[in-house]
Amino acid sequence: MKTEFVFHPKKWGAAVLALLILALPACKDDDEDPPAPPIVNEEELITTVRLTMVPALGGDTAVFDWFDLDGDGGNAPIITGDTLLTGTVYNATVLLLNETGNPADTISNEVADEAEAHQFFFTTTGSGLSWTAYGDVDANGNPIGLASTWTTAGAGSGSLSVVLRHEPDKTASGVSNGDITNAGGDTDIEVSIPFLVQ
Amino acid sequence: MKFILSVSFSFLWLGVQAQCDLVLSGRVVDEHDRTPLDFASVELVGTGRGVQAGADGYFRMEGLCPGTYSLRVGHVGCDPVERRVDLKGDQVLEIKLEHHAHELHETEVKRKRPDEHVGQAGRTVDRADMERASGKSLGEVLAAVPGVSVLNSGPNISKPMVHGLTGNRVLLLNQGVRQEDQQWGAEHAPNLDPLSSDRITVVKGAASVQYGSDAIGGVIVTEPVALPRSGGASGEVRGLGLYNGRGGGANAMVQGGLGSVRGFGWRVQGSGRYLGDSDAGRYVLSNTGLREAGGSAALGYRDHRFNAGVYYSWFGRELGILRAAHIGNLTDLQNALDRGEPWFIGERSYDINAPRQVAQHNLLKAEAGYAITEHDRLVVTYAYQADDRQEYDIRRAGRDAKPALDLYLTTHAADAVLKHWLGKHMHGRIGVNGLLQENDNIPGTGVRPLIPDYTRTTGGVFVVEHLPIGERLELEAGARLEATRLDVVKYTTDNMLVRPGHRFTNTAFSAGAAWTAKDSAQVRFNISSAFRPPHVSELYSEGLHHGAAAIEEGHAELASERAWKAVLDLSERFFGRRLRIDVTLHASHITDFIYLRPNGTRLTVRGAFPVFQYTATDALLCGADLNSELRLHRNWRWRVAASTVRGRDLVRDEWLFQMPSDRVGSGLVFKRSGPDQRSRISVEVGTDIVFRQERIPEGLDFAEPPPAYQLLNCTITAERPLGRNSLRFGLRGSNLLNAAYRDYTDRFRYYADARGTDIVLWITYAFGGGPNDHEPQGAP
Repeated sequence: MKTEFVFHPKKWGAAVLALLILALPACKDDDEDPPAPPIVNEEELITTVRLTMVPALGGDTAVFDWFDLDGDGGNAPIITGDTLLTGTVYNATVLLLNETGNPADTISNEVADEAEAHQFFFTTTGSGLSWTAYGDVDANGNPIGLASTWTTAGAGSGSLSVVLRHEPDKTASGVSNGDITNAGGDTDIEVSIPFLVQ
Repeated sequence: MKFILSVSFSFLWLGVQAQCDLVLSGRVVDEHDRTPLDFASVELVGTGRGVQAGADGYFRMEGLCPGTYSLRVGHVGCDPVERRVDLKGDQVLEIKLEHHAHELHETEVKRKRPDEHVGQAGRTVDRADMERASGKSLGEVLAAVPGVSVLNSGPNISKPMVHGLTGNRVLLLNQGVRQEDQQWGAEHAPNLDPLSSDRITVVKGAASVQYGSDAIGGVIVTEPVALPRSGGASGEVRGLGLYNGRGGGANAMVQGGLGSVRGFGWRVQGSGRYLGDSDAGRYVLSNTGLREAGGSAALGYRDHRFNAGVYYSWFGRELGILRAAHIGNLTDLQNALDRGEPWFIGERSYDINAPRQVAQHNLLKAEAGYAITEHDRLVVTYAYQADDRQEYDIRRAGRDAKPALDLYLTTHAADAVLKHWLGKHMHGRIGVNGLLQENDNIPGTGVRPLIPDYTRTTGGVFVVEHLPIGERLELEAGARLEATRLDVVKYTTDNMLVRPGHRFTNTAFSAGAAWTAKDSAQVRFNISSAFRPPHVSELYSEGLHHGAAAIEEGHAELASERAWKAVLDLSERFFGRRLRIDVTLHASHITDFIYLRPNGTRLTVRGAFPVFQYTATDALLCGADLNSELRLHRNWRWRVAASTVRGRDLVRDEWLFQMPSDRVGSGLVFKRSGPDQRSRISVEVGTDIVFRQERIPEGLDFAEPPPAYQLLNCTITAERPLGRNSLRFGLRGSNLLNAAYRDYTDRFRYYADARGTDIVLWITYAFGGGPNDHEPQGAP
């Protein structure tokens, strides 16, 4: 059998035509924009961490605010410290908000609902202010930290930090006393806010 | 257990050793389009030895004595052909028959030479290899090929890496169709069941000419199954038990013809795995369970002029992600590194909790081919793929049940290829491809999408021509032109709707040569280019990566990656064919190589995070793979495989991140067959040594590379006939010394050790001749 090159114009023509028809959709310019997807509201975003300190024996309330409306990325957070009085015991509460929606979503309620799976840890740097004790417990009798007490000594300044751990081991050594070292879990919040004691 | 013992003992009587142990194997194919010719008769004239090739054209005769034989091959519709075979060692032949009812004169028998990928280094994993790798995922199955390693995210997520490149730089071709699933993430394993194919070929070269974009490091081809054309049902059923993960699996396959209607064939296949938490050497890896199932069905018709087929496959997987690898911020990561073991180790369990992934992949393919002239064949293919992926994160207020990422990716692809002959010798393919893809974020996640919605349209044309020169040299040259349009819809951080668009036009070229210097020596060389437009994740992703404690940001100005890769593949036999050595040397130069580079830090409510931005550089990768086997004695072989790869960032003059470290594998193999050639036993004891990666870039990683490690493995397989059917038995132990180790290319090495000892046991029953039974079926 001779395998010569045989040109069959009809058959090749049909083949090339078929190729072109297949290629056409790839070149088609589709100018209709697809419909816009819905805007996503970040449900779990924490835009605001607010630590409100009220003197136990009455006086001016101090508010420490960490605010970042656009979440991770975008604009930098706005951090607002406050001034405390010397030699005072403060009762503090933590409020967590998602202010991207209207009305704002109170995330600290979710933390309270899942109290067994959450714990706050507080530390300070500088001088003048120290965290004293937890002011609340979960159903198992372990601390949460939505409420706590703080004490100021003499004049000073520094920053306080608020850490929220998700699924920590609350029974590990030192954890119920506010020591984060053995807590484990994963971090939901870690913010630092300046303070002044005078 | 009693049953298992009786099966294994029954192999001990294998008894008197046949005096000769040479193997003659090969494949019978149509000379024109290389489609396999089924059930050809292959006979050694005058010896009484003969076999029938399988449905896929493969045949194999074992236990032959050295000498000169006359090999006679016959097939319905072809004149039988005889050729002299000088058998000194094992030999593999490709026998091409002229399969046209009206052209019975010319027959040709040629030595095996590569055709589809001239000059490319490659290796095929066949059904027997896959059986030996029972219970492994696609990536792990392929890691047995020198030059292929895996990028892991814990024990269940493995992405194949070819010559140091992975993800969107390795193209996966499933049944001849580009696999379009979410390949951009390191924790996105390919949604593919390796058992849906009989053969998986790894092409370790740049092959964009034939396959389009992304084929920079290589191409993994799961070849379309060759359906029977007649005959009754055959198939196999396998059950397996896995110790690590305390689970099991099964797979089954049945195929056959349509009774007396010649030309039709069908096949149905399914498989599944179910695993609980894996074990590292010293502790349970909590939340690493896995459920996986896949199935496929194929129906086809073929005669010498026309063929058509439909194929559908479904694959579903749910897997848990190591609980301890979900961290909130850099402090957590530092704690994990200091702690040395996972911070969360729970009770062993089969439960899969958040973080977890659920993915499903559907492929529907229709194909038709028609011989428009005696030598030219037009093949038209259409494929539809739907990929559905949900990722569930650890969230508050019961949102664990709601996916944090919910993507639906649909892809339509069509190609038309004209296989043609130009004159007597030159032949090749010319084709067009079109692809239309849409990615949708399914609303309701309550999380800003990690990657935006997009539409991708691609069109390409290519030509590849082959020119054989004499019996020993074959040349190949090819070119492709491809254009891609990417239309993105997304919201900016202040909720402004934007619709950015991108256009990428790319070309690719290839030139290859394969030279059979002498019967025992082959030289292959290929230089080819490949390209990859940036993925939408590299252009637009924006968000916190929980497993890596990093904010990853896209860069919308990125251009296409363009690569040139040269591969030299040498294969030689020494000492009277007792020693076989295959060496592959490769080098690639990639311009606009996209990677993540630190770009400052950012303050978030979870603390300060390093920001990594996708950046382009120029990269040079080179390396070598070695594969060798020494026949020590009749039944004893010693094999050594090794690979090494080096990657440099040419702009910054430093090492590339996440290159696999050097590795050497070695194994002692004992194989023995019974006098009837159908009872077989093989035992392999081997060790894998993986060296420490010393070549790392400055400041890109959070931890030092882990130390070198060595694993001891053992595989035992045995087969015995049961009439026309057969029973196969296998036992594989990996990491037998329960070594505690971490691998540099495991993304979870920050958090936990890799898998400890694993033992897998399987039993296969093959019936009706089985899918791969190339053994004698009675002398002709």
